[in-house]
Amino acid sequence: MKELDLLKKDWQKNTDSFVQVSETEIYKMIHKKSSSIVKWILIISILEVLLWTALSLFFNSDDYLKKLKHEELISYLKILTYFNYGVILTFIYLFYKNYVSISTTASTKQLMTDILKTRKTVQFYVWYNLGMIVLSFIIGFVIAFSYSPEIGSMRDKIFNDVKIMAIIFGVLFLTIAVFFGAFWLFYRLLYGILLRRLYANYKELKKIDL
Amino acid sequence: MSDNLEHSFVKQLRENQNIIHKICRLYTNDDDAHKDLFQEITIQLWKAFPKFRGDSKFSTWAYRVALNTAITLYRKSKRSIATIEFEGRQHFLNDVEYNYEEEEQLKLMYKAVYQLNDIEKALIFMYLEDKDYQEIAETLGISEVNARVKMNRIKGKLKKILNPLGI
Repeated sequence: MKELDLLKKDWQKNTDSFVQVSETEIYKMIHKKSSSIVKWILIISILEVLLWTALSLFFNSDDYLKKLKHEELISYLKILTYFNYGVILTFIYLFYKNYVSISTTASTKQLMTDILKTRKTVQFYVWYNLGMIVLSFIIGFVIAFSYSPEIGSMRDKIFNDVKIMAIIFGVLFLTIAVFFGAFWLFYRLLYGILLRRLYANYKELKKIDL
Repeated sequence: MSDNLEHSFVKQLRENQNIIHKICRLYTNDDDAHKDLFQEITIQLWKAFPKFRGDSKFSTWAYRVALNTAITLYRKSKRSIATIEFEGRQHFLNDVEYNYEEEEQLKLMYKAVYQLNDIEKALIFMYLEDKDYQEIAETLGISEVNARVKMNRIKGKLKKILNPLGI
Protein backbone atom coordinates (compact mmCIF):
# COMPACT_ATOMS: atom_id res chain seq x y z
CA MET A 1 0.00 0.00 0.00
CA LYS A 2 1.89 3.01 -1.25
CA GLU A 3 -0.07 5.52 0.82
CA LEU A 4 0.98 3.68 3.94
CA ASP A 5 4.62 3.79 2.91
CA LEU A 6 4.27 7.49 2.32
CA LEU A 7 2.73 7.90 5.75
CA LYS A 8 5.51 5.88 7.34
CA LYS A 9 8.14 8.04 5.73
CA ASP A 10 6.43 11.21 6.86
CA TRP A 11 5.84 9.78 10.32
CA GLN A 12 9.45 8.94 10.89
CA LYS A 13 10.88 12.16 9.61
CA ASN A 14 8.51 14.47 11.45
CA THR A 15 9.80 14.12 14.97
CA ASP A 16 10.83 17.67 15.62
CA SER A 17 7.41 19.18 14.99
CA PHE A 18 6.41 18.76 18.64
CA VAL A 19 6.74 21.47 21.22
CA GLN A 20 9.44 20.03 23.46
CA VAL A 21 8.75 19.64 27.15
CA SER A 22 11.60 20.83 29.38
CA GLU A 23 13.16 18.93 32.28
CA THR A 24 11.66 21.39 34.75
CA GLU A 25 8.22 20.67 33.36
CA ILE A 26 8.80 16.92 33.59
CA TYR A 27 9.85 17.36 37.25
CA LYS A 28 6.60 19.17 37.89
CA MET A 29 4.58 16.52 36.10
CA ILE A 30 5.90 13.56 38.06
CA HIS A 31 4.85 15.22 41.29
CA LYS A 32 1.29 15.63 40.10
CA LYS A 33 -1.45 13.15 40.88
CA SER A 34 -2.53 10.59 38.35
CA SER A 35 -6.12 10.70 37.14
CA SER A 36 -6.11 7.22 35.64
CA ILE A 37 -9.09 4.90 35.93
CA VAL A 38 -7.07 2.59 38.18
CA LYS A 39 -6.86 5.37 40.71
CA TRP A 40 -10.59 5.96 40.52
CA ILE A 41 -11.30 2.26 40.91
CA LEU A 42 -9.03 2.20 43.96
CA ILE A 43 -10.78 5.19 45.56
CA ILE A 44 -14.25 3.85 44.86
CA SER A 45 -13.25 0.40 46.08
CA ILE A 46 -11.88 1.68 49.37
CA LEU A 47 -15.06 3.69 49.92
CA GLU A 48 -17.15 0.62 49.18
CA VAL A 49 -15.22 -1.58 51.57
CA LEU A 50 -15.42 1.04 54.32
CA LEU A 51 -19.15 1.56 53.80
CA TRP A 52 -20.07 -2.10 53.75
CA THR A 53 -17.78 -3.02 56.61
CA ALA A 54 -19.25 -0.20 58.69
CA LEU A 55 -22.75 -1.35 57.84
CA SER A 56 -22.02 -4.93 58.78
CA LEU A 57 -20.56 -3.78 62.10
CA PHE A 58 -23.64 -1.71 62.85
CA PHE A 59 -25.84 -4.68 62.12
CA ASN A 60 -25.65 -5.80 65.68
CA SER A 61 -28.75 -7.55 66.90
CA ASP A 62 -27.50 -8.83 70.27
CA ASP A 63 -29.59 -6.40 72.33
CA TYR A 64 -32.76 -7.27 70.54
CA LEU A 65 -32.08 -10.98 70.92
CA LYS A 66 -31.40 -10.54 74.65
CA LYS A 67 -34.79 -8.94 75.00
CA LEU A 68 -36.33 -11.99 73.41
CA LYS A 69 -34.78 -14.17 76.10
CA HIS A 70 -33.48 -16.65 73.56
CA GLU A 71 -29.78 -16.23 74.04
CA GLU A 72 -28.90 -19.43 72.22
CA LEU A 73 -29.66 -17.47 69.07
CA ILE A 74 -26.82 -15.09 69.91
CA SER A 75 -24.21 -17.83 69.63
CA TYR A 76 -25.56 -18.85 66.23
CA LEU A 77 -25.31 -15.29 65.06
CA LYS A 78 -21.81 -15.01 66.54
CA ILE A 79 -20.66 -17.78 64.23
CA LEU A 80 -22.15 -15.85 61.35
CA THR A 81 -20.36 -12.68 62.49
CA TYR A 82 -16.96 -14.40 62.70
CA PHE A 83 -17.56 -15.92 59.32
CA ASN A 84 -18.29 -12.42 58.05
CA TYR A 85 -14.99 -11.09 59.47
CA GLY A 86 -13.17 -13.93 57.74
CA VAL A 87 -14.78 -12.99 54.45
CA ILE A 88 -13.87 -9.31 54.89
CA LEU A 89 -10.22 -10.16 55.56
CA THR A 90 -10.04 -12.60 52.66
CA PHE A 91 -11.57 -10.01 50.44
CA ILE A 92 -9.16 -7.25 51.50
CA TYR A 93 -6.25 -9.62 50.84
CA LEU A 94 -7.59 -10.55 47.38
CA PHE A 95 -8.26 -6.96 46.49
CA TYR A 96 -4.79 -5.87 47.55
CA LYS A 97 -3.21 -8.76 45.65
CA ASN A 98 -5.11 -7.89 42.48
CA TYR A 99 -4.40 -4.20 42.87
CA VAL A 100 -0.63 -4.56 43.16
CA SER A 101 -0.57 -6.90 40.18
CA ILE A 102 -1.83 -4.09 37.95
CA SER A 103 1.22 -3.04 36.00
CA THR A 104 1.57 -0.77 33.03
CA THR A 105 4.58 -2.79 31.92
CA ALA A 106 2.40 -5.86 31.32
CA SER A 107 0.90 -6.45 27.90
CA THR A 108 -2.20 -4.40 27.10
CA LYS A 109 -4.45 -7.43 27.34
CA GLN A 110 -2.96 -8.54 30.66
CA LEU A 111 -3.31 -5.04 32.06
CA MET A 112 -6.97 -4.90 31.10
CA THR A 113 -7.58 -8.36 32.56
CA ASP A 114 -5.97 -7.30 35.85
CA ILE A 115 -8.02 -4.12 36.09
CA LEU A 116 -11.26 -5.95 35.40
CA LYS A 117 -10.32 -8.61 37.96
CA THR A 118 -9.73 -5.99 40.65
CA ARG A 119 -13.04 -4.38 39.93
CA LYS A 120 -14.84 -7.73 39.95
CA THR A 121 -13.40 -8.56 43.37
CA VAL A 122 -14.94 -5.40 44.80
CA GLN A 123 -18.20 -6.00 43.03
CA PHE A 124 -18.30 -9.53 44.38
CA TYR A 125 -17.81 -8.14 47.87
CA VAL A 126 -20.66 -5.71 47.42
CA TRP A 127 -23.00 -8.47 46.22
CA TYR A 128 -21.90 -10.63 49.12
CA ASN A 129 -22.82 -7.84 51.55
CA LEU A 130 -26.13 -7.25 49.85
CA GLY A 131 -26.82 -10.97 50.14
CA MET A 132 -25.90 -10.90 53.82
CA ILE A 133 -28.23 -7.99 54.43
CA VAL A 134 -31.10 -9.76 52.75
CA LEU A 135 -30.28 -12.90 54.72
CA SER A 136 -30.22 -10.94 58.01
CA PHE A 137 -33.48 -9.36 56.98
CA ILE A 138 -35.08 -12.77 56.46
CA ILE A 139 -33.56 -14.27 59.60
CA GLY A 140 -34.71 -11.23 61.59
CA PHE A 141 -38.16 -11.62 60.13
CA VAL A 142 -38.30 -15.32 60.99
CA ILE A 143 -36.98 -14.73 64.52
CA ALA A 144 -39.44 -11.94 65.16
CA PHE A 145 -42.17 -14.13 63.79
CA SER A 146 -41.35 -17.19 65.85
CA TYR A 147 -40.08 -15.72 69.10
CA SER A 148 -41.38 -12.23 69.62
CA PRO A 149 -44.22 -12.19 72.15
CA GLU A 150 -45.93 -9.24 70.46
CA ILE A 151 -46.22 -10.98 67.14
CA GLY A 152 -46.87 -14.34 68.80
CA SER A 153 -50.53 -13.66 69.36
CA MET A 154 -51.01 -12.57 65.78
CA ARG A 155 -49.12 -15.52 64.42
CA ASP A 156 -51.99 -17.97 64.22
CA LYS A 157 -54.21 -15.32 62.72
CA ILE A 158 -51.71 -14.56 59.98
CA PHE A 159 -51.01 -18.19 59.17
CA ASN A 160 -54.68 -18.87 58.78
CA ASP A 161 -55.25 -16.03 56.38
CA VAL A 162 -53.73 -16.70 52.96
CA LYS A 163 -54.39 -13.15 51.84
CA ILE A 164 -52.39 -11.51 54.63
CA MET A 165 -49.63 -14.10 54.16
CA ALA A 166 -49.45 -13.27 50.47
CA ILE A 167 -49.31 -9.54 51.18
CA ILE A 168 -46.53 -9.94 53.76
CA PHE A 169 -44.39 -12.10 51.48
CA GLY A 170 -45.16 -9.90 48.53
CA VAL A 171 -43.97 -6.79 50.34
CA LEU A 172 -40.88 -8.64 51.56
CA PHE A 173 -40.04 -9.85 48.08
CA LEU A 174 -40.68 -6.45 46.51
CA THR A 175 -38.44 -4.68 49.04
CA ILE A 176 -35.59 -7.07 48.26
CA ALA A 177 -36.12 -6.71 44.51
CA VAL A 178 -36.15 -2.89 44.63
CA PHE A 179 -33.07 -2.93 46.84
CA PHE A 180 -31.13 -5.13 44.44
CA GLY A 181 -32.42 -3.31 41.39
CA ALA A 182 -31.30 0.06 42.70
CA PHE A 183 -27.80 -1.25 43.42
CA TRP A 184 -27.53 -2.98 40.09
CA LEU A 185 -28.49 0.24 38.33
CA PHE A 186 -26.05 2.27 40.43
CA TYR A 187 -23.18 -0.04 39.56
CA ARG A 188 -24.06 -0.16 35.91
CA LEU A 189 -23.93 3.64 35.81
CA LEU A 190 -20.82 4.07 37.92
CA TYR A 191 -18.65 1.51 36.19
CA GLY A 192 -20.35 1.99 32.86
CA ILE A 193 -19.06 5.55 32.77
CA LEU A 194 -15.66 4.64 34.16
CA LEU A 195 -14.96 1.55 32.12
CA ARG A 196 -16.85 1.95 28.88
CA ARG A 197 -13.74 2.54 26.83
CA LEU A 198 -11.72 -0.13 28.58
CA TYR A 199 -14.44 -2.71 27.93
CA ALA A 200 -14.67 -1.74 24.27
CA ASN A 201 -10.90 -2.05 23.82
CA TYR A 202 -10.80 -5.29 25.77
CA LYS A 203 -13.46 -6.78 23.52
CA GLU A 204 -11.59 -5.60 20.45
CA LEU A 205 -8.37 -7.24 21.65
CA LYS A 206 -10.15 -10.48 22.44
CA LYS A 207 -11.76 -10.45 19.01
CA ILE A 208 -8.32 -10.32 17.36
CA ASP A 209 -7.24 -13.44 19.19
CA LEU A 210 -10.35 -15.49 18.46
CA MET B 1 12.55 7.74 45.72
CA SER B 2 16.07 9.05 45.48
CA ASP B 3 16.99 12.23 43.65
CA ASN B 4 19.37 10.26 41.48
CA LEU B 5 16.61 8.07 40.16
CA GLU B 6 14.45 11.10 39.56
CA HIS B 7 17.19 12.87 37.70
CA SER B 8 17.98 9.86 35.53
CA PHE B 9 14.29 9.46 34.71
CA VAL B 10 13.70 13.10 33.81
CA LYS B 11 16.77 13.16 31.59
CA GLN B 12 15.82 10.00 29.69
CA LEU B 13 12.24 11.08 29.34
CA ARG B 14 13.21 14.44 27.91
CA GLU B 15 15.40 12.72 25.35
CA ASN B 16 12.70 10.24 24.39
CA GLN B 17 9.66 12.49 24.66
CA ASN B 18 8.78 12.29 20.99
CA ILE B 19 7.52 8.74 21.47
CA ILE B 20 4.95 10.08 23.90
CA HIS B 21 4.10 13.04 21.70
CA LYS B 22 3.42 10.69 18.81
CA ILE B 23 1.08 8.58 20.89
CA CYS B 24 -0.68 11.69 22.17
CA ARG B 25 -1.06 12.88 18.60
CA LEU B 26 -2.79 9.63 17.64
CA TYR B 27 -5.09 9.38 20.61
CA THR B 28 -6.15 12.96 21.22
CA ASN B 29 -7.78 15.63 19.11
CA ASP B 30 -6.66 18.91 20.59
CA ASP B 31 -3.76 20.52 22.40
CA ASP B 32 -5.35 20.38 25.84
CA ALA B 33 -6.04 16.67 25.59
CA HIS B 34 -2.56 16.15 24.18
CA LYS B 35 -1.00 17.83 27.22
CA ASP B 36 -3.31 15.96 29.55
CA LEU B 37 -2.42 12.56 28.12
CA PHE B 38 1.27 13.50 28.01
CA GLN B 39 1.15 14.24 31.71
CA GLU B 40 -0.68 11.03 32.57
CA ILE B 41 1.81 8.96 30.56
CA THR B 42 4.69 10.74 32.32
CA ILE B 43 3.18 9.92 35.71
CA GLN B 44 2.64 6.28 34.78
CA LEU B 45 6.19 6.01 33.41
CA TRP B 46 7.56 7.47 36.61
CA LYS B 47 5.51 5.06 38.70
CA ALA B 48 6.79 2.12 36.68
CA PHE B 49 10.37 3.40 36.47
CA PRO B 50 11.73 1.57 39.54
CA LYS B 51 10.84 -1.66 37.72
CA PHE B 52 12.76 -0.62 34.63
CA ARG B 53 15.91 -2.68 34.81
CA GLY B 54 17.70 -1.31 31.81
CA ASP B 55 17.84 -4.68 30.07
CA SER B 56 15.91 -3.07 27.25
CA LYS B 57 16.22 0.42 25.86
CA PHE B 58 14.34 3.18 27.67
CA SER B 59 12.41 3.90 24.50
CA THR B 60 11.32 0.27 24.03
CA TRP B 61 10.13 0.13 27.61
CA ALA B 62 8.41 3.50 27.33
CA TYR B 63 6.39 2.41 24.28
CA ARG B 64 4.56 -0.18 26.26
CA VAL B 65 3.73 1.96 29.27
CA ALA B 66 2.71 4.89 27.07
CA LEU B 67 0.47 2.79 24.84
CA ASN B 68 -1.09 1.06 27.83
CA THR B 69 -1.84 4.40 29.41
CA ALA B 70 -3.41 5.76 26.23
CA ILE B 71 -5.53 2.68 25.55
CA THR B 72 -6.37 1.48 29.03
CA LEU B 73 -5.86 3.95 31.83
CA TYR B 74 -6.56 7.32 30.31
CA ARG B 75 -10.05 8.72 30.60
CA LYS B 76 -10.87 10.83 27.61
CA SER B 77 -12.49 14.11 28.43
CA LYS B 78 -15.76 14.78 26.64
CA ARG B 79 -14.21 17.55 24.68
CA SER B 80 -11.87 15.31 22.81
CA ILE B 81 -14.62 13.07 21.44
CA ALA B 82 -15.57 15.81 19.02
CA THR B 83 -14.57 15.35 15.43
CA ILE B 84 -11.05 16.04 14.39
CA GLU B 85 -10.17 19.47 13.19
CA PHE B 86 -7.72 18.37 10.64
CA GLU B 87 -6.77 21.84 9.51
CA GLY B 88 -5.14 22.42 12.87
CA ARG B 89 -2.80 19.55 12.25
CA GLN B 90 -0.97 20.86 9.26
CA HIS B 91 2.24 21.04 11.20
CA PHE B 92 2.71 17.30 10.68
CA LEU B 93 3.61 17.94 7.13
CA ASN B 94 7.10 18.84 6.34
CA ASP B 95 7.02 21.78 4.02
CA VAL B 96 10.65 21.53 3.00
CA GLU B 97 9.97 19.02 0.25
CA TYR B 98 6.70 20.42 -0.89
CA ASN B 99 4.76 18.13 -3.14
CA TYR B 100 1.12 18.98 -3.60
CA GLU B 101 -0.07 15.54 -4.58
CA GLU B 102 1.85 13.81 -1.82
CA GLU B 103 0.64 16.30 0.70
CA GLU B 104 -2.97 15.69 -0.27
CA GLN B 105 -2.45 11.96 0.02
CA LEU B 106 -0.82 12.34 3.41
CA LYS B 107 -3.66 14.47 4.66
CA LEU B 108 -6.16 11.83 3.64
CA MET B 109 -4.04 9.11 5.15
CA TYR B 110 -3.79 10.87 8.52
CA LYS B 111 -7.50 11.46 8.43
CA ALA B 112 -8.10 7.76 7.74
CA VAL B 113 -5.84 6.69 10.60
CA TYR B 114 -7.83 8.89 12.97
CA GLN B 115 -10.95 6.96 12.09
CA LEU B 116 -9.49 3.69 13.37
CA ASN B 117 -10.36 2.44 16.84
CA ASP B 118 -7.93 2.50 19.79
CA ILE B 119 -6.51 -0.96 19.23
CA GLU B 120 -6.12 -0.48 15.50
CA LYS B 121 -4.33 2.78 16.16
CA ALA B 122 -1.92 0.97 18.46
CA LEU B 123 -1.09 -1.54 15.73
CA ILE B 124 -0.65 1.15 13.11
CA PHE B 125 1.47 3.17 15.51
CA MET B 126 3.88 0.32 16.07
CA TYR B 127 3.92 -0.43 12.36
CA LEU B 128 4.83 3.17 11.59
CA GLU B 129 7.53 2.98 14.24
CA ASP B 130 9.00 -0.04 12.43
CA LYS B 131 8.34 -2.50 15.21
CA ASP B 132 8.34 -6.15 14.20
CA TYR B 133 5.30 -8.36 14.65
CA GLN B 134 6.85 -10.15 17.58
CA GLU B 135 7.09 -6.91 19.53
CA ILE B 136 3.63 -5.77 18.44
CA ALA B 137 2.18 -9.09 19.57
CA GLU B 138 4.00 -8.99 22.91
CA THR B 139 3.02 -5.42 23.64
CA LEU B 140 -0.67 -6.00 23.02
CA GLY B 141 -0.77 -9.52 24.42
CA ILE B 142 -2.01 -11.24 21.28
CA SER B 143 -0.39 -13.90 19.12
CA GLU B 144 2.04 -12.96 16.38
CA VAL B 145 -0.05 -14.60 13.67
CA ASN B 146 -3.13 -12.70 14.78
CA ALA B 147 -1.21 -9.44 14.91
CA ARG B 148 -0.23 -10.00 11.28
CA VAL B 149 -3.80 -10.88 10.26
CA LYS B 150 -5.16 -7.84 12.07
CA MET B 151 -2.57 -5.56 10.47
CA ASN B 152 -3.63 -6.76 7.02
CA ARG B 153 -7.25 -6.09 7.89
CA ILE B 154 -6.36 -2.60 9.05
CA LYS B 155 -4.61 -1.95 5.76
CA GLY B 156 -7.77 -3.09 4.00
CA LYS B 157 -9.85 -0.83 6.20
CA LEU B 158 -7.62 2.16 5.47
CA LYS B 159 -7.89 1.46 1.76
CA LYS B 160 -11.65 1.41 2.07
CA ILE B 161 -11.71 4.69 3.95
CA LEU B 162 -9.46 6.30 1.34
CA ASN B 163 -11.39 4.88 -1.54
CA PRO B 164 -14.91 3.96 -0.42
CA LEU B 165 -16.13 3.10 -3.89
CA GLY B 166 -13.23 0.78 -4.59
CA ILE B 167 -12.34 2.42 -7.88
